Amino acid sequence: MPEYYLRFSLGQRLLHGLLMASFLGLATTGMPLHFNQSRWAIWLAHTLGGFGVMGFFHRTSAVLLTLCFLIHLAHLGHRLFVKRELAVLWGPDSLVPQPGDLVELGRHVRWFFGLGPRPRFGRYTYWEKFDYFAVFWGMAIIGGSGYVLWFHAFFSRFLPGWIFNVTHLIHGEEALLAVGFIFTIHFFNSHLRPEKFPMDLVIFTGRVSEDDLRTERPEEYERLSREGRLAAIKADPPALWLRNFGRIVGAAAVTVGLVLFTLIVFAVFGR
Amino acid sequence: MACHVTATAPHEERLPAVRCAGCHADPAAAVRTGVHGSRAAPSRGPVATCAACHGTHGVRPAAEVGVGACATCHGAQVQLYRDGVHGRSRQRGNSEAATCRSCHGAAHALLAKSDPGAPTYHLNLPRTCARCHADPELARRYNIPVGNVYQLYMDSIHGRAVSRSGLLVAANCSDCHGAHDIRPPAEPASRVFRANVPSTCGGCHAGVLQEYQGSIHGRQVAAGNPIAPVCIDCHSAHQIRRVEGEAWKLEIVRECGTCHVESLKTYRDTFHGKVTALGFTRVARCSDCHGAHTVRPAIDPASTVNPANRVATCRRCHAGANENFAQYDPHADPESRARNPWLYHAARFMRWLLVGTFSFFGVHTAVWGLRSLVGRRHGSGPAPPGGPGGEDGGA
Repeated sequence: MPEYYLRFSLGQRLLHGLLMASFLGLATTGMPLHFNQSRWAIWLAHTLGGFGVMGFFHRTSAVLLTLCFLIHLAHLGHRLFVKRELAVLWGPDSLVPQPGDLVELGRHVRWFFGLGPRPRFGRYTYWEKFDYFAVFWGMAIIGGSGYVLWFHAFFSRFLPGWIFNVTHLIHGEEALLAVGFIFTIHFFNSHLRPEKFPMDLVIFTGRVSEDDLRTERPEEYERLSREGRLAAIKADPPALWLRNFGRIVGAAAVTVGLVLFTLIVFAVFGR
Repeated sequence: MACHVTATAPHEERLPAVRCAGCHADPAAAVRTGVHGSRAAPSRGPVATCAACHGTHGVRPAAEVGVGACATCHGAQVQLYRDGVHGRSRQRGNSEAATCRSCHGAAHALLAKSDPGAPTYHLNLPRTCARCHADPELARRYNIPVGNVYQLYMDSIHGRAVSRSGLLVAANCSDCHGAHDIRPPAEPASRVFRANVPSTCGGCHAGVLQEYQGSIHGRQVAAGNPIAPVCIDCHSAHQIRRVEGEAWKLEIVRECGTCHVESLKTYRDTFHGKVTALGFTRVARCSDCHGAHTVRPAIDPASTVNPANRVATCRRCHAGANENFAQYDPHADPESRARNPWLYHAARFMRWLLVGTFSFFGVHTAVWGLRSLVGRRHGSGPAPPGGPGGEDGGA
């Protein structure tokens, strides 16, 4: 029986679930407005229940995602200021980009072309850090501009009118960037690439097998064993129901995402 | 034939009146049911006796009694008819063109247009015109631009008001085209000639005409601008519909855009324009800000989009609108550095952010995918779970 180690806590997995659900909700109710000249957009907007319903679910999803963002910030704050975990800010367990990530990127590219061995990745790879900060930046920009647009009357008390022109543009373009990135690059990097196909269940089960940890993140595996921290994160194998749950939710999310992405490609290049 | 009872020549100075009914009992009875034989007729003019139309000694058969006979009494109407499209078409030898009888019915039992049974009665007229004009073939033969005009009219707000509600004040064919003086729309004397359309519609819609005449469109039409819109450009003629209809509300935006191309384009970039493009009408359309019949250029102090009036205009929907709010550009152009400098730079920044991110990660992902596929085939990729990877790295 293979050993399993805990990679993501239950809280992190629930937060990712909330992020997924609200993100898909936002994308589905927002993209028809962005691609309003396409037939599918008109169809989807009417199928979803019309302008009022789309607006309601867009705002509801936005509030949920904001909640998600705030919970994460509170958790980070707690780790940083109460538990004084400076490892959050720097080092191998931090998501903050560091010079080593550039080196990793270079080595990875060398490996792409068969010019060197595969880099020995740690807990967070450079593309995972990019994913994380892309979402972080995206939530700040899209969320911020979204709230300005939502409460335009309030914000117009102290913001000039052109701000609304700019926020409207940025909200849509940044959303397109986020949706396009998540539905292609993130899906591929985390799930669809040949090593992981069709899906990496770790974000649903939270558990990674010893073999996977050792081959995919040798730096982390060696560091944890060296520091004797492996035993602390030892976990029971993921239950079948949990794996199936992950497969169903993951497949649904990937399907919705890829369908939306296909429609976007139609809208952008089909005219 | 003994019309005069004592037919001797030379006859007495005054012969007894001729009784045509003696032989022509049916036509005589018919005449008594119509306006020509009614007791009301003499008060309005000379009595239409048999002889007035058919003549006396040179009595003509019915087929030969033409428009000229009607002209004896109805001279003004016949003159209008002769100058109109039907009369001229007849003159050119077209036997299908309408004569008096085509619309008013046979002369003997002819009813006044105020009579609900008359083919020219307000509520009956559309069907009467349709006897010829519901036929697309006829329209093709005579180059009449609208072939299915009757069907369109009957579905229009005017047609429904006439045919379903029985409204005498709703326009029927003759209210717009005239009755005897119908002329093709290309003729300046026609009631439906472009420049005459506003006054024709204004015959009923007087208040709207007043607003329109003060608008930029009305003033341009009055000044002779051939492309400035008249009523039918926005409302159409025979398909005219209620302006509260959802479909019409969306169509009218596109209609404005057929002339105001740039404005429609920039409108579509805004939330207002996107929502209406999806088919929902709860947001501002052209007329909500610019006015419909009252549309005026922004420099006009009376314009709803004049800087002095903008806050009030925004407030019609956005109760909390203030000066800042009204500075929002509802026709902002991200390509215009002069008009929207911030938007211009934001658009450029976003474009490069998208192009940059997708280019980098697109290539990165594609190469990675290929490498992984190649690696799997040659067994040099990362080890599958439970594979040889278990031998290095000691725990």
